[in-house]
Amino acid sequence: MSIQNVILKLQDFWAERGCYIASGYDNEVGAGTMSPDTFFRVLGKKPWRAAYWQPARRPDDGRYGQNPNRVQKHNQFQVIIKPVPDEGQILFLDSLIYLGVDINIHDIKFDEDNWASPSLGAWGVGWQVMCDGLEITQFTYFQQAGGMELNPNSLEITYGVERLAMFLDGQNNIYDLDWGNKVSYSALNLECERQFSIYNFELADIVMLRGVFQQYQKEAEKLLEHQLYLPAYDYLLKCSHTFNILDARKAISVAERTALMGIMRNLSARIAQKYVMQTDGEDHG
Amino acid sequence: MADLLFELGVEEIPTHAVGAIHNQLKDLFRARLEKLNLSHGGIEGAASNRRLMVHVTRLSEKTAHKEETVLGPAKRIALDERGAPTVALKKFCEINQVKLADVVEIETAKGSYLGIVRVAGGEDTAKLLQTAIPEILAGLTFSKTMVWNESRVPFIRPIRNILALFNNKPLAVEFAGIQSGNKALGHLLLSDAFFEVNSFKDYVQGLSKNFIILREEERKAKILAEIKDIEADLDGRVRVDETMLDYYVFSNEYPVAFSGSFDAKYLNLPAEIIATFMTHEKKLLPVYDRAGKLSNFFVGVANIPDENKKVSRGNEKVIKATFEDAQFFWDMDRKIDFFSLKPLLKNVMFQKELGTYLDKIGRVAALVDFLVNETHNGALREKLQKAAFHCKNDLLTKMVREFPSLQGIMGGLYLKEAGEDPVVWKAIYGHYLPRGLADEKLDDLGAGILSIADRIDNIAGFVGKGIKISSSKDPYGIRRDANAIIKIIVDFKLAVDLAPLIRLAVLNFAKKDADLQRDCDAINELFISRLENSLKDYWHFRYDIVNAVLGKDALSVYDTFLKAEALAKLAAGGLVDQLAAVQRRLKNISKGMERCHFSEGLLKDHEEKILSDIFKESKPRIDALIIKKNYLQASSEILEMKPIIDRFFDKVLVMDENESLRKNRIALLQRIDELLSSVADFSLLVELKPGEKI
Repeated sequence: MSIQNVILKLQDFWAERGCYIASGYDNEVGAGTMSPDTFFRVLGKKPWRAAYWQPARRPDDGRYGQNPNRVQKHNQFQVIIKPVPDEGQILFLDSLIYLGVDINIHDIKFDEDNWASPSLGAWGVGWQVMCDGLEITQFTYFQQAGGMELNPNSLEITYGVERLAMFLDGQNNIYDLDWGNKVSYSALNLECERQFSIYNFELADIVMLRGVFQQYQKEAEKLLEHQLYLPAYDYLLKCSHTFNILDARKAISVAERTALMGIMRNLSARIAQKYVMQTDGEDHG
Repeated sequence: MADLLFELGVEEIPTHAVGAIHNQLKDLFRARLEKLNLSHGGIEGAASNRRLMVHVTRLSEKTAHKEETVLGPAKRIALDERGAPTVALKKFCEINQVKLADVVEIETAKGSYLGIVRVAGGEDTAKLLQTAIPEILAGLTFSKTMVWNESRVPFIRPIRNILALFNNKPLAVEFAGIQSGNKALGHLLLSDAFFEVNSFKDYVQGLSKNFIILREEERKAKILAEIKDIEADLDGRVRVDETMLDYYVFSNEYPVAFSGSFDAKYLNLPAEIIATFMTHEKKLLPVYDRAGKLSNFFVGVANIPDENKKVSRGNEKVIKATFEDAQFFWDMDRKIDFFSLKPLLKNVMFQKELGTYLDKIGRVAALVDFLVNETHNGALREKLQKAAFHCKNDLLTKMVREFPSLQGIMGGLYLKEAGEDPVVWKAIYGHYLPRGLADEKLDDLGAGILSIADRIDNIAGFVGKGIKISSSKDPYGIRRDANAIIKIIVDFKLAVDLAPLIRLAVLNFAKKDADLQRDCDAINELFISRLENSLKDYWHFRYDIVNAVLGKDALSVYDTFLKAEALAKLAAGGLVDQLAAVQRRLKNISKGMERCHFSEGLLKDHEEKILSDIFKESKPRIDALIIKKNYLQASSEILEMKPIIDRFFDKVLVMDENESLRKNRIALLQRIDELLSSVADFSLLVELKPGEKI
């Protein structure tokens, strides 16, 4: 199955189950969780059902386009449901069946894997879902975000789109995938992987990046003083991506890591508090 | 008689936690039934990562009847002089809601009382269980909990189903917002979500119809048998370690072993890397050929039959991708000069308050120096120092950042690749080993020495930082480090006294003299208790032999071990009882006395002169044997003195009226006791009756 069919089918499946189909966020993020459609909406009381395709960047995962399974930019399909449905696991298995997975002949396992994002002050309990040994999805019950206990809790299902497509298509190599209608994954991404790997690992300007991290941080703080938590959050995301590039460049010492993480955790907590205060956890109005 | 069938259906519990939680559950049920005075024919259970089952057989339907006496006022207060009831008695009846006619006279040690005898019990078991079960579930404890629904009840994972049948009828129970019913959870993949259950027989049949093998032992046996078949097919060997077997047993309700293969070109990677990536990353087991060499086959366990080989093919693809990753890390890391990584350790924190790894390797190198001297391995000094200074470099490699369990091993492998001297790379390679007492013996002495130095530094740092360990908590692995040190010393027969080593390690951290003493004491004590434990539970020495050898020099670990061995041999030869008798007698007579002065000139009786002569003649010989650590021979020679000692006790009155004679005799006996004690305190040995065993 092509990448675009995986996405279309998942959108279809979850729209049928009451999810609003969001667009992926137009900012560099490391995971679908970092989109405002998840980060903000898991806070507060209001029920929420969203599903969206989110490209995600992880500089350290770059392999110069030479690894058949790892890339610095991959695609996630994110589902977030609040409150937690009783039948979440069954819904998820149904979505696999809808994609064409015969669950009677493939070994699907829920393997303990608790998720945490220290910079977002967020953590959850759950599993990585393995299909014949391949990790295809992260399945998480959110417990905390922005340093706040969540009540009600949300269920987050994050599919790895490439992984699913490789599995469904019987491919061994990510670059052999069909994105859709004969446009190949490698035509779209191989050069991108090569260039960004060189940039992230070898050429990224450490001094410049340290500098912009601070500028982004200051901007976020300024925006918070103006109660503008949405643009403040954008700058937090920029800090996070900058941090990830610095990390891929091995430019961050232990002490510095702790300090930078602390800055981001602090920002995310203040942003989350502003959101809850201003909306009373209800809605944007 | 009824039975209770209870099954909690839970979303996948982390496999390592299943066994302990299930035991807790059974214990809580047992304790509660006892408290409720409910007799039963036994509690059995079974568990997987999706269900925790408890089955109580022949459970009484009502609580046992029990006579209960309620004492009222004393007779002389309850009745007036004419025998009529007083206000006190009337009040008692009112409170207990009984008539005057129900009151009887009760004789007690304090005299006659009035009161009532009533029959308690006979309560409905079903009703009691409805209250008890939610409380039992609430009583379970977990290392990490979560909440998922409105009830906000913390549990390890969301509960999805409660099956409760009492006497084959549904028992209404509610916990965490979930109502019980007469359905059980099906197999995740092979059956419907639930199946109906109306009796235990039903349940067992339903499970097997729905591809659920309930009993752990059955699942384990199936897995092992199928792996055996695969071994035969492939003409290979699979090492199934306990952790992985447990993982397979608890993560599959219908386990099926499968095998697969990968491109032999990846066998160019070091075997350690291949095995680690397979096991830790992919939960697959490597297959070795007859000669013990890694083959390009693997074994795994699925939760479904794999007739179409889909699971096997899928895992083959995954493992290929994993090896590609390994190859990438291996290639990238080898591009860097390994030695150049050392200064960067200043950026890697060892532990808060304990500095960086750059600080640590300096301390470790100094400890290595000390150990090299103590163990007369001066020839290794320079190379082991080099190993110490570079043993943590691999923390900065891509491979170890990705797979921390390869630390040490990678450092060794990278240096081996770079053509480094074997003494250096082997020491680094093995310095996180052994992981426990049951591990194999390290094959490299240098690794052993480096491992001791690294670990004693860990222990001194953590203890100095105030980390306390308890029977259940040891977050920094202090106990494991101590066990490993003991094992290395015994395995390599190292003449190391731990006391000065501990002091040296603590000196690196202690800020004040008082801290130094406190931490040394704490660590000495830790080692004594670890030593006691390992001698008993790992080397299987009799507990009284262990007590006998854990005297003041016990921290010379290898000597202590040899002493225990000697005592075990003496015991096997039936000789310890005699030594124990001798030493008990020696100790009894001088109990509570200070060490007395001995003078040959004060010897008077014939028997004491003989004893003194024999002692004087044997002591240098026995001392020499002790120095040579020949404790068996030393003990035998002491035993040879027994008839003379016995004769002395028979013929000589130790407690002579003359104080100087008395003290001199005691002094002689004290000298003999001291000689014996330099082997062991035989008086602590338990005397066994014929045929009795410890």
